[in-house]
Amino acid sequence: MRYTTKKRLITGSAIISAGFLFATASMAQEITIAFDAGELGSTSYNPVTASNLNSAASLIYDRLIEQDADQSYHPHLATSWEESADGMTWTFALHEGVTFHDGSPFNAQSVADWIPDFAGSDNEYLVAAIASVDVIDDLTVRFNMERPEPNLLYNFASTFMGIPGPAAYEEMGEDFGVTGAVGTGPFMLESFEIGLQTVLVRNDDYAWASDLSENQGAAHVQQITFREIPDQSTAFLELQTGGVDLLLGVPTDFLQILAAEPNIQVIHMPGTGISYMPINVTAPPFDDILVREATGLAIDQPAIVAAVYNGVGAPAHNFLISSLPEAEVNDDLNVYPDLERAGALLDEAGWMMGADGVRMNAEGESLSVDLFTANSTEFTRLTQVVQAQLAGIGMEATITVFDSSTIRDEYRRNAHQLAVRAYDWNNSDILDWFFSGTRLGYPNVSMWEDAEGQRLNDRAMTESATFDERVANFLAYHEYVLSQHLFVPIYQPTKNIAFNTDTVIIPDPVRGTRFRSQTVLDIRVVE
Amino acid sequence: MLLRYTFQRLLMLIPVSISISIVIFMIVHLLPGDPIDNLLRIGSSPEDREALVARYGLDRSLFVQYFTWIGNLFQGDFGQAIVLRRPVIDLIGQNLPYSLVLGGLAFAFSSIVGMSLGIISSVVRNPIIDRLVRGFILLGSTVPGFWLALLLILFFAVNLRWFPVSGAGGWDSLVLPVLTIGFGGVALVARVTRVALMDARREDFVMLLHAKGLSHNTILFRHLMPHALLPVVTILALRIGWILGGAVTVEFVFGRPGLGSLLIRALGQRDYPVVQGCLLMLALAVMLGTLIGDIAQAAMDPRVREAKT
Repeated sequence: MRYTTKKRLITGSAIISAGFLFATASMAQEITIAFDAGELGSTSYNPVTASNLNSAASLIYDRLIEQDADQSYHPHLATSWEESADGMTWTFALHEGVTFHDGSPFNAQSVADWIPDFAGSDNEYLVAAIASVDVIDDLTVRFNMERPEPNLLYNFASTFMGIPGPAAYEEMGEDFGVTGAVGTGPFMLESFEIGLQTVLVRNDDYAWASDLSENQGAAHVQQITFREIPDQSTAFLELQTGGVDLLLGVPTDFLQILAAEPNIQVIHMPGTGISYMPINVTAPPFDDILVREATGLAIDQPAIVAAVYNGVGAPAHNFLISSLPEAEVNDDLNVYPDLERAGALLDEAGWMMGADGVRMNAEGESLSVDLFTANSTEFTRLTQVVQAQLAGIGMEATITVFDSSTIRDEYRRNAHQLAVRAYDWNNSDILDWFFSGTRLGYPNVSMWEDAEGQRLNDRAMTESATFDERVANFLAYHEYVLSQHLFVPIYQPTKNIAFNTDTVIIPDPVRGTRFRSQTVLDIRVVE
Repeated sequence: MLLRYTFQRLLMLIPVSISISIVIFMIVHLLPGDPIDNLLRIGSSPEDREALVARYGLDRSLFVQYFTWIGNLFQGDFGQAIVLRRPVIDLIGQNLPYSLVLGGLAFAFSSIVGMSLGIISSVVRNPIIDRLVRGFILLGSTVPGFWLALLLILFFAVNLRWFPVSGAGGWDSLVLPVLTIGFGGVALVARVTRVALMDARREDFVMLLHAKGLSHNTILFRHLMPHALLPVVTILALRIGWILGGAVTVEFVFGRPGLGSLLIRALGQRDYPVVQGCLLMLALAVMLGTLIGDIAQAAMDPRVREAKT
């Protein structure tokens, strides 16, 4: 009898405690989010000077403009904008009634004070085309340009262009973004422990969300704890055990395991990058364009999506993400698998199939190449499939795995032939970054120097006056790059978000190019 | 005599520290890659890269860079992190307490449990207990830390939900990391204690003590333990350095900040000042541990200080 009473007491206490804890959590409206592995390591929330900003930064600071997943631009702190016909001035109308977390008003002067802060910082390039800023009236600001900058809206939508409170920025100096931060965003910085966690609390006065959010007022969630968990397996287990409610950047490897969890849902956001295989055009046999073209035709992108990524994501057939207008190239230039044509091209180039399945040339050299890759499970697996597909055309590839710093040195030493790598960038100027003849080795891993290519590059980068002109110029440059067979496009990944359906409700689809304030405003805690 | 010995050992630390600083600097700078690529944004020009190289003095000779670093160190300046953008001393200061707490607790755990197991194994004349302890020692010496960490997480955090999977929030977040790190230490300390005690028991004076009618406990704790403690103290002192550096993978798996996590992150980004600062701290901890071990040995055994002075 004593035992039964004791057991009842314990059980009763446990139920009451659990109920109390649950009720407290529900009432508290608090959630915990684990950062994407790529977002780890931020040491500051100063958007002007930081080299690395995470998702929490987008909740502290608002931007003038937001960008959606389809790459369209939406008003935020700027309600409208107008570009002059010659592209030399941009006039922005600002949202009325916006205040910073310290209570000071956001107005045209705040913008005028903010732009000069970039001078001398590593982020200065974002505003390099702006010569001066005029305050037209309290809610109208005009940017006078050094040169036309059709990419200005893209720059303004960057996380690094979140607008800090001018008074706090000046007052706190180097501590701004570390010991405190002031913006106009839907959340305020409560605490920041570098390498461990960031705690944000709701800005109750928030009433200036962009049209990407359904909720136009203060966030439903009162407090968010962002945790840094470097090991992806550990982060996954935290989600499974309720240590975190939402996991940003779930690796594709984990998706099948998550599918078996009844209380976990995964949302796939359109990705903003491409996995691809650059070809070093200076390293034989790839100095022969026929061999380069054949190499591209060997890669079966749809098979890779199915085998390596379980059908999540999309095959890549050119160098840009498909939501960019510059990705709409002539379909003849897109890269699709065609083993028969690849074989014919290699025959034409003098590489004949040997008895052992490896091609040889007239000098008796075998078609054996080096294939470099980075040291992550996903990359290694992808590279192994690429290796197998290259074997299908008689090309023997030997894989070497490097860490990210060492592999860049190898590129600079011109020690590579093929490599499997990826980029994450949703703007066509990525073509300039990877193919401009001024950056041979790294990032121009293809080691490509070409007068016509450089002319098209320069025209796209500096001679486009309007957005449409820029699109046309980059499209022409992209098509020329594709015609030279400098790389093999492989895969367009998705960004995967997993969350615990017992604790949070996440809007699907997630709006925007990344997980940012427009989505967080609509997150609800399960009552 | 002991003071003189301690002073001599402290003097020896000067050339050792200089040698270590040279080795650390050279290893870090001879690694392939550099930190600048991690600072460049898409759109940066080659001139931007050159400017960054010059800004951080990486275009100067290694000789000049080394003496600049050493000169600043003597003024207490560990430099500014290139990629992480904070003073190195701040980054170390933020991470060191986490490593000290975790390493200190793991050290205490492995010392107490290890010595207890070693004593039990050598004293208790029960073959089953002896085999169990020896089996544990073998297991602890061979199981990799990261694997043990995952096992502990799966059992205690995922299945039983007794402890959090990761983090550094409260005392409960320390239990699994301390067990993971401490497990290998327990095995080592237990093994050394067991062997030392068994060797000591074979000494002639032990037979004499038995003949004089002293109890087993008196012989064990008053006469055998001081003998057996010498090698145990040496091992423990050497592990003081390991307190800071031994938890790298464990910090990673359990998502804890710490000197090891900072070092790994900085190494991946080739953030030279941070890597140098962390390695220097680890080297200092090892030197300090060795020094403490030597002095403790000398204090416990006059033959040691006589032989070395």
